[in-house]
Amino acid sequence: MLGYLARRVLLLGLMLFGLACITFVISHVAPGDPARLAAGPDATASMVERIRAEYGLDRPLPIQFGQYLRGVLSGDLGRSLRTREAVAADLARYFPNTFELVTGAMLLAVGLGVPLGILSAVYRDTWVDQITRVVSVSGIAIPAFWAGLMLQLLLALHMGILPLGGRLGLMTAPPTPVTHLLVVDALLGGHWRVLGDALAHAVLPTVTLCFPALASIVRVNRAEMLETLKQDYIVNARAQGVSELRIVARYALKNAMIPTLAMIGLRYGWMLGGTVLVETVFDWPGIGLYAVASAVSSDFQPIMGVTLVIGLNFMLANFLVDLAYGWLDPRVRSTMSA
Amino acid sequence: MRVLVTAVLAVLVAAAPAPGFERAGDRKILVFAGRQEVPTIDPSVKYDWSIRMAQQSLYDALVKYVGNPPEIVPWLAEKWESSPDARTWTFHLVKNARFHNGDPVTAEAVRFSFARTLKLNQGPAWTLSEFLKDDDIKVVNEHTIQFTLNQSYSPFLSWLPWWYVMNPKQVLANEQGGDLGQKWLTTNAAGSGPFRIKRWEQGVLYELEALDNYWKGWPSKDHIGGVIYRIVRESAAQRAAVIRGEADIVEGLSSDDFDQVAKMPGIVVPTFPGMTTFGIKMNTQKGATKDLNLRKAVCHAFDYDALIKIYNGNAVLQTSPFPNATRGYVPVSGIYRQDLGKAKEFLSKSAYPNGGIELEYVYVQGLEEERKMGLVLIDNLQKLNITVKMVPLIWPNMVGRGAKVETSPDMMAVFTTPLSSDPDAVAFQYHKGSFGKYYASHFYTNDAVWALIDRARTTARWEERAPLYADIQRRITADAPEIFGMLANRRWAMRDHVKGFVFSPVRFTGEVDLYPLAIVAK
Repeated sequence: MLGYLARRVLLLGLMLFGLACITFVISHVAPGDPARLAAGPDATASMVERIRAEYGLDRPLPIQFGQYLRGVLSGDLGRSLRTREAVAADLARYFPNTFELVTGAMLLAVGLGVPLGILSAVYRDTWVDQITRVVSVSGIAIPAFWAGLMLQLLLALHMGILPLGGRLGLMTAPPTPVTHLLVVDALLGGHWRVLGDALAHAVLPTVTLCFPALASIVRVNRAEMLETLKQDYIVNARAQGVSELRIVARYALKNAMIPTLAMIGLRYGWMLGGTVLVETVFDWPGIGLYAVASAVSSDFQPIMGVTLVIGLNFMLANFLVDLAYGWLDPRVRSTMSA
Repeated sequence: MRVLVTAVLAVLVAAAPAPGFERAGDRKILVFAGRQEVPTIDPSVKYDWSIRMAQQSLYDALVKYVGNPPEIVPWLAEKWESSPDARTWTFHLVKNARFHNGDPVTAEAVRFSFARTLKLNQGPAWTLSEFLKDDDIKVVNEHTIQFTLNQSYSPFLSWLPWWYVMNPKQVLANEQGGDLGQKWLTTNAAGSGPFRIKRWEQGVLYELEALDNYWKGWPSKDHIGGVIYRIVRESAAQRAAVIRGEADIVEGLSSDDFDQVAKMPGIVVPTFPGMTTFGIKMNTQKGATKDLNLRKAVCHAFDYDALIKIYNGNAVLQTSPFPNATRGYVPVSGIYRQDLGKAKEFLSKSAYPNGGIELEYVYVQGLEEERKMGLVLIDNLQKLNITVKMVPLIWPNMVGRGAKVETSPDMMAVFTTPLSSDPDAVAFQYHKGSFGKYYASHFYTNDAVWALIDRARTTARWEERAPLYADIQRRITADAPEIFGMLANRRWAMRDHVKGFVFSPVRFTGEVDLYPLAIVAK
């Protein structure tokens, strides 16, 4: 098991190095002059050169890359030309918001998607199944930004029951940061008004982000449940008079959850990097918005920082899914040990 | 369970519809929903409309632009005089101005601020760095400062509203590694302006608090008690925010949205002619557009009225390379208008008498108005047997392409806002000194015009300058370095309890002077 873990960590490092190389090359071959943009539209040539020198953009690319890698290893992801702050500090400010949003959306998607998938399979071809399938197809077919705008229009503008966007109300002071996760910090501090405000602001983006994931979970879980419920051991259990509830909950679900879990893990990693549209529509101050603002400014250090963070999260999610496989499936566990 | 119930109740309370403006005790807090962040407020480092709106609120300058047409009025300087050759400028400061920490605003603070900006060589430094060195700024006494320029420079005064005065003590106390306080001043202020920082949540919102004892006083007893500048990136969300009363002012809506919200109760849409020109710059040094006759053919083929239609009538056509509000502006007779006969005549004189060429039109990706203008170009130039290839690019890439003759596209859609009302601010865009900047992507070259521009900016008397600028406008028009397009109106959507709005065309697109604003409501 330890050998397996060591191999995976080594592979993770290699993949991150590869990701850093690719991102660096793409950022630097893209047209545009970040120094000119940072210097401002009216800047003279000497002003642009000054910025270029200040940020080390006048050095040969291999040297810049070497410096970047050395920085990454010591936790320094460079400095943003746009915000003039350390990228690591910017990411530390924005990432918790994205983490909260994605985690909330995924919890909602799993909480609703798994039971709906089971119901859909158990009551196959009934009205329950039909409705669930419509929901799941819609979730995949409707673009997130459109769904977000429609929800915003309906629930915020016309009905006025939820805020339009943002992370907190304008006059709400955030609680003292402990975990930097707003909901958790409000809970820990017992700031109920802040908690309510934070949750109210989170409803629309969470639902919007959750919808596609929910649809995928329902579809995969339904398909796996249908397949599992046809297996011989289930038929055998039924023949022995085991109750249907026990068959579904105890014997079928565990096996059906293996592919669903893999999908959840991948989806979670993907969602951490795929919040751009939802964050933009709802002005959710996360790394998606940070990445967009950096990309339109050709500010490549933050773009590389965001890519590395998203890549790392994606890999970690995969890693955890692999471990969960082992927990669910003894055959996989024995492979890991070998 | 108890926690869950409490949370649900709290959500319902928090989600109640928002009132108009916010209140903090007795203070009425104006909410401005803008799309653009304020990445720094260091007056020596950077400016754009959102940055400058914050800088103007936190800092004061020697003088200030007010009104329409823009007028330079005394601010930290109560009076000034210049030598007959416009080389020596002496400013006498008011004696009651105070920085936010209570320190007096002195001539030494002014000297320090100018020297800092010149040394950092960023932000507004380019406006004066050619003429002013820090050694030539002399503190005459505690309240008098003198600038001696290395040559006559008439536009000097016109740039000063953007040279804000910082408190040297605060700046130096927060210096890190000889950075002249740059890191600290990114999110902190050391000014004497009517507002001070209350909250600064980068990329989310910025809250300023009005100073009750602002040294210059307030123009209205109902003046706003503070401002929350909130980032709302989506136009649809901005629109919804002002309709719902979650924002008091929004900027940057589409023409259709502005027209729509203007009809709604409780919302007003002030509309003013702006100074921002829209032009389609043509590369005058490379490719087919190097040919003067081809450029003239393109200028005559273009449907100018379509520009106005794209803006739902909220724009006026340019009648000169200079915006109408620029000092010394003259309407140029014979400015290009659509005339297919003339277009074909010029084409026949060009190196491409039968057309048969393709011209590239580069515009900002996602900017719907510029895309529509490209479609108009395609339609218009088809009649000359010229095809147009539309290339959407993100702004940094456009700037990158427009910086060099070799890469500058045949045609590039550009909005340009002059930084001052002095004609030099526009004329110099056609000078070789502007090559490399986005608005000079035409690489316009005319030695005689350059000489006129140099002469006009160093001539002291306006009576002598004015005819030079009239000549410059006519000559530039004749050389057709761009399709001189239109001046879009500046518009904001505001809740009707917002009073005191003062428009000045020299401010940037979404920028509002927050100082005179008041909220008059129950």
